[in-house]
Amino acid sequence: MNQPLESFSYDDAIARKFMLATFVWGLVGMLVGLLIALQLALPSHNIPPLLTFGRLRPLHTNAVIFAFAGNAFFTGAYYSTQRLLKTRMFSGLLSSLHFWGWQLIIVLGALTLPAGFTQAKEYAELEWPIDILIAVVWVIFAVNFFGTLARRRQRHLYVAIWFYIASIVTVALLHIFNNLSVPAGWLKSYSIYAGVQDAFMQWWYGHNAVAFFLTTPFLGLMYYFMPKAAERPVFSYRLSILHFWSLIFIYIWAGPHHLHYTALPEWASTLGMIFSVMLWMPSWGGMINGLLTLRGAWHKVVEDPVLKFYVVAVTAYGMATFEGPALSVKSVNALVHYTDWIIAHVHTGALGWNGFLTFGMIYWLLPRLFQTKLYSQKLAELHFWFATFGLIFYVTAIYSAGLTQGLMWRAFDETGRLQFPDFIETTVKLIPMYWMRAVGGTLYLAGALLCGTNMLMTWRTRPKTWEVPVVQAPRLERRAEHGDADAPASAWKRFTRVSWHRRWEALPLTFTVWVVVAVGVASLFEILPTFLIRSNVPTIASVKPYTPLELAGRDLYIREGCFNCHSQMIRPLRPETERYGEYSKPGESVYDHPFLWGSRRIGPDLAREGGRFPDLWHVRHLEAPRSITPKSIMPAYAGMLTRPLGFAGIQKRVDVMAMLGVPYGDAVRDATGQARAQARTLAASIAAQGGPQGLEDKEIVAVVAYLQRLGTDLRKGAGAAAPAGTR
Amino acid sequence: MGLSDVIGHAGLSGFTEVAMILFMAAFVAVVVWTFAPRRRRELDAASRLPLDDERTGPAGPGADS
Repeated sequence: MNQPLESFSYDDAIARKFMLATFVWGLVGMLVGLLIALQLALPSHNIPPLLTFGRLRPLHTNAVIFAFAGNAFFTGAYYSTQRLLKTRMFSGLLSSLHFWGWQLIIVLGALTLPAGFTQAKEYAELEWPIDILIAVVWVIFAVNFFGTLARRRQRHLYVAIWFYIASIVTVALLHIFNNLSVPAGWLKSYSIYAGVQDAFMQWWYGHNAVAFFLTTPFLGLMYYFMPKAAERPVFSYRLSILHFWSLIFIYIWAGPHHLHYTALPEWASTLGMIFSVMLWMPSWGGMINGLLTLRGAWHKVVEDPVLKFYVVAVTAYGMATFEGPALSVKSVNALVHYTDWIIAHVHTGALGWNGFLTFGMIYWLLPRLFQTKLYSQKLAELHFWFATFGLIFYVTAIYSAGLTQGLMWRAFDETGRLQFPDFIETTVKLIPMYWMRAVGGTLYLAGALLCGTNMLMTWRTRPKTWEVPVVQAPRLERRAEHGDADAPASAWKRFTRVSWHRRWEALPLTFTVWVVVAVGVASLFEILPTFLIRSNVPTIASVKPYTPLELAGRDLYIREGCFNCHSQMIRPLRPETERYGEYSKPGESVYDHPFLWGSRRIGPDLAREGGRFPDLWHVRHLEAPRSITPKSIMPAYAGMLTRPLGFAGIQKRVDVMAMLGVPYGDAVRDATGQARAQARTLAASIAAQGGPQGLEDKEIVAVVAYLQRLGTDLRKGAGAAAPAGTR
Repeated sequence: MGLSDVIGHAGLSGFTEVAMILFMAAFVAVVVWTFAPRRRRELDAASRLPLDDERTGPAGPGADS
């Protein structure tokens, strides 16, 4: 090596900032999680209007995914990228903009979600102005990252960098396409997709958010920090290459397994299932690769809390990715979909894989970033045990809850009728498990607080000024080292020889293009047919758009986050049609911008709610759920009886819907007038049934109008009678 | 006649087999070059990259080698 050495230093200040943010937001996210866990165990923990389960659940998921895990990824990425590429980050300004921009997004999310501003799509709830900000900040991160790649002093891109590249590129793609919407005000928008197509986009996004925000970035971290802590290279670098490409190719197809037995076309659902099962292999390859990195170092696990955290993290990755494919098999999914099982599954992943990997990384980074010794090894050890028992308590309770729920929903007695026809029976059964979950969550949170103590005490012993070590490395030579002096003669030899592959992994641009091709082609092949082949979404003549008042009610349903607990999608399975009525058809949700099928049944499905109960029943039930169903865990929405309905905004919203292609006809001209007229009629009917007077300008009429409309269009065609008032 | 009708009647069903073969081929290609015996030395070196960074300069107090 006759190249002169260049001197430079790493920017560790940015990693320190992101590490602090990871911890702070982790605490917030877990605290909100604990609160919503308590709300399910005891509904008096709901404090309307701002702090109800429906509004806080998205805050919890967004906080732990984008704030906690997001900042953790950035911490590790900024620390490891510079070292793997032997260069400083491309721009300190961009690093700062990325940091502060991301924290601003989180604060905006924390303010708007409890206030009820939401797009109603899971993990994509944030409204359009924040979405634009996310895109801008993500581009800033990408420019900074790829700029760093361009200035690297290390030709070969280590596998961790591949995972970072794939994550950055794919998250941008997912975020943009799923959030395409038309604004109907500053913090209100309607998805440009409707019904089946919206569901398809959402779960293409939703599943890949798990893949490319919670899995691939963290695998990158694993491939860097695991060898660091174990002080030996990864078990098999070849396996990691295979792991990478198989994940990238397969993951992107798996989304439809979130929509089994729904109104999604069956071919798409089957495709999602098959690819999910295929994911078993790369995932387990990666897990084994991670665990075997500790070959000959298992004695270190005994002493080192960092390695302990990693071992549990990788094991949890293995368990969650074993379970995922199993859950995506249709017949298994029929039992567990909509139940707590899915909640347990994601917490094995989030608490186990993301949480443990993050905390392990923090403990490894603390002495290095603060340039001192870790304050207390014992405290870290204690944190490990708190977190492990917290995790076990949490998932055991909620797996049991999920199974109980699934089995009770489908239980028939010997006469062939539903054994538990009242939904509430299946809820009451779960309350003890909800308490146990809260205990688990508390333990996990207590562990995190120990980490905070350790972090603070370590920080206090930092040196007065940060030492900035000077690193030296030769400048990257222009491709000379890959000269074709020994070019093999035959094409086969050229194909199998070393530099063939090194060439495009050494060219970040080419590499990135291949990742985009892998991800993009799969996405297009899977999604486009639903958009372009008309027969995939049959229309139903009797299905009409919502009236302006019902649309306003639907927006209130979205504002309160009702879809977090109530699905609107009856699967064609006998226990479901017995309980809820005729199964849902794709043609029924063609005007649903966004779709509100839901993914969880904490309460009963509402797809055929219309006409099941009298108007007054709904008023009383929303006002005080426990006056109707004594053990109900639903929050009370008494405020809806007194808060005025925003008639002024209705016209604008109907206009936007019409713009999206919803055939509103005459309503486009006088939406407000129509809404007022329908509200008067409905309020009169409520009063006539013995209910309160003067509701015609209150929010409640809109919500009741919407609920009474749900699922009734199908009957209009056939002229059939409404089912009886039970579930 | 819209784009959806054109695509709907284009008779694209045979392309699924083609796609499967293409994807399978891509996968086999990845396996072949990953496990080509010639790559062993290169990849062993690559796998040591995370452990390399302490060697390149005067180690800071955080370095652990």
